[in-house]
Amino acid sequence: MSTPLERGVETLKAQVDARVEAYFSSCTGCGVCAEACLFYLESGDPRYTPIYKTEPLRKVWKNDHTLLGKLSSSIGLSEPMTESDLSDWEELVYDGCSMCSRCSMVCPVGIDIAYLIRKVKEGLAAAGFVPEGLQMAGERALELGSPMGLTEKSLRNAISGLEKEAGVKIPIDVEGAEYLCMLSSAEIVMYSEYITALSKIFSAADITWTLSSKYFEATNTGVQKGDSGLAVQLLERMVKVATELKVKTVISPECGHAYTTFRWDGPNILGREYPFKVMHILELLDQLRADGKLKTSGSFDERLTYHDPCNISRRGGVLAQPRQLLNQFATNFVEMDECGEMNWCCGGGGGVSSNERAEPLRLKVFNIKKRQLDALNVSTLVTSCSNCRTMLEEGLEHNEMENIEVIGLTELLADHLE
Amino acid sequence: MFEQLVDGILWDIALVIFFVGILWRIIDVLRRGTRRDLSVPRNSGVPGAIMANIRGFFPRREIAPRVRMKVIAGYMFHLGLLILLFFAAPHVKFIAEHITGFSWAAMPYWAFIVTAQVAFAGLILLWIHRLLHPVTRLISRRDDHVGAILVFLVMLTGCMALAEISSELRVFHRFTVELLMIYFPFSALMHAIMFVPSRAYSGATFGRRGVNL
Amino acid sequence: MAAENRHNSGRVRKIVLFCVFSLLVVVTVPLIPYAIDAYAVAGKQASVEKVAALENPAINLWNDVRQRNERTQGLTQVQGVDSGVLINKAGEDWRRFRVEQLVPYGAWFMGGILGAIVLYYLLKGTQMMPGGPTGVRIPRTTLNQRTAHWFTAGVFWLLAVTGLILLYGRFVLIPILGSEGFAVTASACKEMHNLFGPLFILAVVAMFVLFIKGNMYNLGDLKWFAKGGGMFGGHVSAGRFNAGEKTWFWLVIMFGSALCVSGLLLVLAALVPGREVLSLAHMFHGISAVLLIAVSFGHIYLGTVGVEGTLDSMTTGSVDAAWAKAHHDQWYAEMMNDSAAVEAADQEQGSGLVEGGVAKPGQAPGV
Ligand code: SF4
Ligand code: SF4
Repeated sequence: MSTPLERGVETLKAQVDARVEAYFSSCTGCGVCAEACLFYLESGDPRYTPIYKTEPLRKVWKNDHTLLGKLSSSIGLSEPMTESDLSDWEELVYDGCSMCSRCSMVCPVGIDIAYLIRKVKEGLAAAGFVPEGLQMAGERALELGSPMGLTEKSLRNAISGLEKEAGVKIPIDVEGAEYLCMLSSAEIVMYSEYITALSKIFSAADITWTLSSKYFEATNTGVQKGDSGLAVQLLERMVKVATELKVKTVISPECGHAYTTFRWDGPNILGREYPFKVMHILELLDQLRADGKLKTSGSFDERLTYHDPCNISRRGGVLAQPRQLLNQFATNFVEMDECGEMNWCCGGGGGVSSNERAEPLRLKVFNIKKRQLDALNVSTLVTSCSNCRTMLEEGLEHNEMENIEVIGLTELLADHLE
Repeated sequence: MFEQLVDGILWDIALVIFFVGILWRIIDVLRRGTRRDLSVPRNSGVPGAIMANIRGFFPRREIAPRVRMKVIAGYMFHLGLLILLFFAAPHVKFIAEHITGFSWAAMPYWAFIVTAQVAFAGLILLWIHRLLHPVTRLISRRDDHVGAILVFLVMLTGCMALAEISSELRVFHRFTVELLMIYFPFSALMHAIMFVPSRAYSGATFGRRGVNL
Repeated sequence: MAAENRHNSGRVRKIVLFCVFSLLVVVTVPLIPYAIDAYAVAGKQASVEKVAALENPAINLWNDVRQRNERTQGLTQVQGVDSGVLINKAGEDWRRFRVEQLVPYGAWFMGGILGAIVLYYLLKGTQMMPGGPTGVRIPRTTLNQRTAHWFTAGVFWLLAVTGLILLYGRFVLIPILGSEGFAVTASACKEMHNLFGPLFILAVVAMFVLFIKGNMYNLGDLKWFAKGGGMFGGHVSAGRFNAGEKTWFWLVIMFGSALCVSGLLLVLAALVPGREVLSLAHMFHGISAVLLIAVSFGHIYLGTVGVEGTLDSMTTGSVDAAWAKAHHDQWYAEMMNDSAAVEAADQEQGSGLVEGGVAKPGQAPGV
């Protein structure tokens, strides 16, 4: 395990499991996946074809896990992996894929291509081919506890500010509370209205909740980067605070990948089940609504639409909840032409947003969203992921469409409480 | 000499490689196993796996217009080939004599011709498309082309032997079939079998989360 | 990456060239000795006929049987078209036409065209792009058009090869394969020819629908013809398609349709009343086929080694600006005004992409 290449190849080899084997054995090279990928469609460059992004893993699988591959490797006929097989893919995988999983929905033989790309990232990360922005975010997350470099102090400052400003009570480190709400850094720095909204909603529904000062960060740069070691460390911190505070349920904030990581991938990354439940904030809100604990009043009459964050809708399964919640008070709610499980990504998922190098490409692929919004003529764009929200705001600004206001669903709901 | 080889030992070898190879590939997948998914499921994964296997046969509405050509040509070829394989009169006879011991209704001659034409048109279109479309040109490997050419040869020799006037043509057809059978387990042609576990794995993953793949 | 792609397309081009040329050689070289032979046979036949013209007492009966002077019909209980005819003159005429005219003249015609092309190539060599490639790409064909083109080309050559074997195989292949070997080959070819024939109908229809735009003649084409298409120097002006290309298009459509109709009649012979219709169909089929095959040599030559940069329009779908300017100046001017299209094709070239991928969602190209 010395050179980057060897580290990368070893890591990739270890990634091959039954699914990888079945997937690569069944790919027919039909190219259908390309037609679902915003990066291919908007750039027109065939190298952004989803399955092409998994090439390093495919090569390792071919050389090391198939009979013909092994035979030809042993007599020196196969093309061995070279460093450029990894380095050339850094840009494709980290800049040219937002891990939106749209490709996984259309493959005729049922390949979950995003699953494979996630594994390719492990190899690239092990070999050190990671964009600088993401690398730094990972280091900050590990050292300071937040990829944006926020500390306990920043949290406390923000909270006391909010308490003064909005006159609400925001509990911190309350042992035995029913719900522990994790946050994404963006919600502390830019969208603190979310925290205020939480407080309003919980007090309206009359349930106990808390934030944690020791570890509040819900995002997981380890997953975005493809560094399982880092992912485990960050997850362990979350499990630790939740266990210490003896909460029954941990609430994942308005953040896409935090939800899939916590809710679906986390136990598998850690290799054990959680002693608590994990829910997305929208799931909780919808449950409260169904239980009659969350009543809204008034109506929101402006024309609005909902942007599905990929990791919450397509990869998370939170599809009906936002619609049910919105329909309570939004009188003019319209859907985009492709939404729900086949939504178009904002372009900034999978760590693309932390990667400054990818910005021109990201703004280019935003054109899909732009066309979707142009067709609807809405004035409000609701979403439930702070990363999507930033990306949408930037994209709209870039396209001079600031007349559309972007807002979080939790926040909008809190404004319409009875 | 060649005829005896093709009808005898080579056929046996091909049969063994074909079936053992496929079995071995399947076992290779299952052997690796998947770890039990430790997250708490929203739904059971089983219906997801089954539904994904059914829905996979139909392109999603959202991308259907962009892949119309692939889907139409794909169905022409695959359905045509399956029908030829199981309902061409010489095949029915062969299967009854050598494998099952019983036979079923074979297609009339004209139906055979029409089916073969549809299958050929599909295969040729798919292959041309593969070579011309920038995406498929980039991601296709030698394996994909060899598979396409072998299947083409099998179909071609089959149709050449249609008049059944000489045993040479029949033997030639059988020879290409044997080549195909030997090549099958090591190639992308395995998709004909592996699509089932692939769809099942993905369908179960998404199904547990409450998403229909 | 881009360099690698270009390298790849170079290799593809070489393979295509190789295939096309080996096909040409395989198809035509064996015909040459035969054609000479057939010519000698035709000479002999003529002298035999002179002998038959001598007085002979039984000649009238024989002339009636042979239907030399008029059409006579005998009586028989067998029901059916021509069942009362002992020796069918029309059938004999048809046989004569096939053996004495179609076979030798066809061989001469195809061989002649091929020879002329080779000669032209040896004299003139490949016509290069003036000033070399500029690197600016102009989109020329859509993915659908290219797919239709290669589908047609593939089916056409399958039919051409099997058809030529049926027409010339007796003379060329029997010496090599022996009678039995040839019987097998011929049977196989007949099956393939009948099988692929109907696909050619689809191909012709697709070509017509996808290429009709831009292929109507106009006045400027007269000038183009007058200048011999620039074959012997001088500048010729042309739009999207030049008069030569238009002519090739219409030849394909017309003789292709003739091939389809006559071919269908021959396949469905049982449903066709009368031998005359069938022999006529066969005549049309043979003449059209020989003609199209011969002209296709020219088409293939111009599309590959004849003119640098032409093949691109059928592989990648875009052509170099220098090529467009040299051969299709009016179209070039039109396209340069539409700079957006050029830019798109330009970008694609850099990444190895060509057409087909650039369509935006919501404007599905229907591929
Ligand atoms: S759609 Fe699926 S089978 Fe087709 S190329 Fe993509 S991954 Fe392979
Ligand atoms: S996950 Fe999304 S961005 Fe990545 S390859 Fe698939 S469709 Fe493209």
